[in-house]
Amino acid sequence: MKKVQNFEYPEELVPAFEKAKKLEWITIAYLISTMVVIMLTMGNSQAMKTAWFEDLISFTPSISFLIASKIFTKPTNTEFPYGYHRVVSIAYLCSALALFFVGSFLLIDSVSKLIKMEHPTIGTVVVFGRPVWLGYLMILALLWSTFPAIILGKKKLPLAKKLHEKNLYTDAQMNKADWMTAAAAIFGIIGIGLGWWWADSVAAAVISLDIIHDGYTNLKQAVLDLMNQAPKTVTDHKPDPLIDRVKEVLEKHASVKEHIIRLREEGHVYFGEGFIVPVSEADLTHEIELITRKITQLDWRIQEFIITPVKKLPEE
Amino acid sequence: MKTIVYALAFCLFIQSCDNFPKDPEHTLEKVTNGTLIVGYSENPPWVVKTSQAPTGIEAELVKEFANDLGATVQWKNGNEQTLVESLEKQEIHLLIAGLTKDTPWAKKAGISRPYVEHQKKKHVMAVQLGENAFLVHLEKFLHEKKPDIQTRLPNE
Repeated sequence: MKKVQNFEYPEELVPAFEKAKKLEWITIAYLISTMVVIMLTMGNSQAMKTAWFEDLISFTPSISFLIASKIFTKPTNTEFPYGYHRVVSIAYLCSALALFFVGSFLLIDSVSKLIKMEHPTIGTVVVFGRPVWLGYLMILALLWSTFPAIILGKKKLPLAKKLHEKNLYTDAQMNKADWMTAAAAIFGIIGIGLGWWWADSVAAAVISLDIIHDGYTNLKQAVLDLMNQAPKTVTDHKPDPLIDRVKEVLEKHASVKEHIIRLREEGHVYFGEGFIVPVSEADLTHEIELITRKITQLDWRIQEFIITPVKKLPEE
Repeated sequence: MKTIVYALAFCLFIQSCDNFPKDPEHTLEKVTNGTLIVGYSENPPWVVKTSQAPTGIEAELVKEFANDLGATVQWKNGNEQTLVESLEKQEIHLLIAGLTKDTPWAKKAGISRPYVEHQKKKHVMAVQLGENAFLVHLEKFLHEKKPDIQTRLPNE
């Protein structure tokens, strides 16, 4: 069976990929630390329990990224002639689902608290022999969930774009969800201190809408990718300009009279076919090889592009 | 830089209001120099029913607490179930019944930080949910009384 080549990632992108892996390990260590800090200051607070649970779910993108990165680099074999690229799309699906779940959970939790008119109770804790309102410590713990998460998320965004890593991009959005929920919880606790029992839930509900939006768009994209939708960009899910560049190569090639192409996304890389009506059948094999080389040299993401010569283009 | 400014502003803001946290239902304001309505359920030696005001370790503590607040105590006897319901309906401010930290009422009532540990059980009192100023005030009072409370415990 013919196996496709394996070139993820090209040499110039390897440092970026290594950096992304390192960032994900840092993220995991950081999330563990936030969970410990929150657990220590949790008390009876439902808001803090929610923040803790949310941190637990936020492990998904980092872990799925690291697992996928162990698998997709495996060479092709007779069992997997197309390679292991699609594991990246599966990881992306897991992360997007986790993000969507976090948002939905937060919304349901906060709305139900508002309906039940739950008044959050926060008492004192003894620090160095003196009773201190636990709310202050909660705010400190939650601050630790904001600033480092902002930095981590910002560092992941350019890497995600460079590596065509939708999973990493989702993880950056998960970091955003983390710091936003923490910020909402801080406002909530200040609100509780001012005697506004509803502040906590209202802040959480507002933030949850943004997380649900991010989760939904990524969840949709992950499913569509697995259904072989034409390739879309990492950040805004628009048609990848690479498609037009492939068309352009065929357009400019003198020996091609008519052409039609299709591309699909498998994780980081693209596979595709092109049907061409050649001007003449003389030296066709050579021409096809020439075109194929030109197209696969366009971008590292084009893993394999197969040209099929036909007398008449298939119907669109 | 902006965040630091905001953080400082926030600290100043917190410092400026000494009544932080506040009560959504203003329990602390209402009972100070007013009437403290206390629900009690017999559970010796913590709460002991008599023909008049209850006695016992917790009842005595409540009397001292009320004295601190300049409040007169109005006692209401009942079982735990009805008293927790009274707390929810805001008919009483405070509930004493020799409750411990693992009380099943934690969702219906604001449970205080344990004020004493006796025979491996951590003892608590209950207030209305979310009345944080009143709760903090009570916990601070119990914290100050801690050395005193130890001496009042029955011998093990």
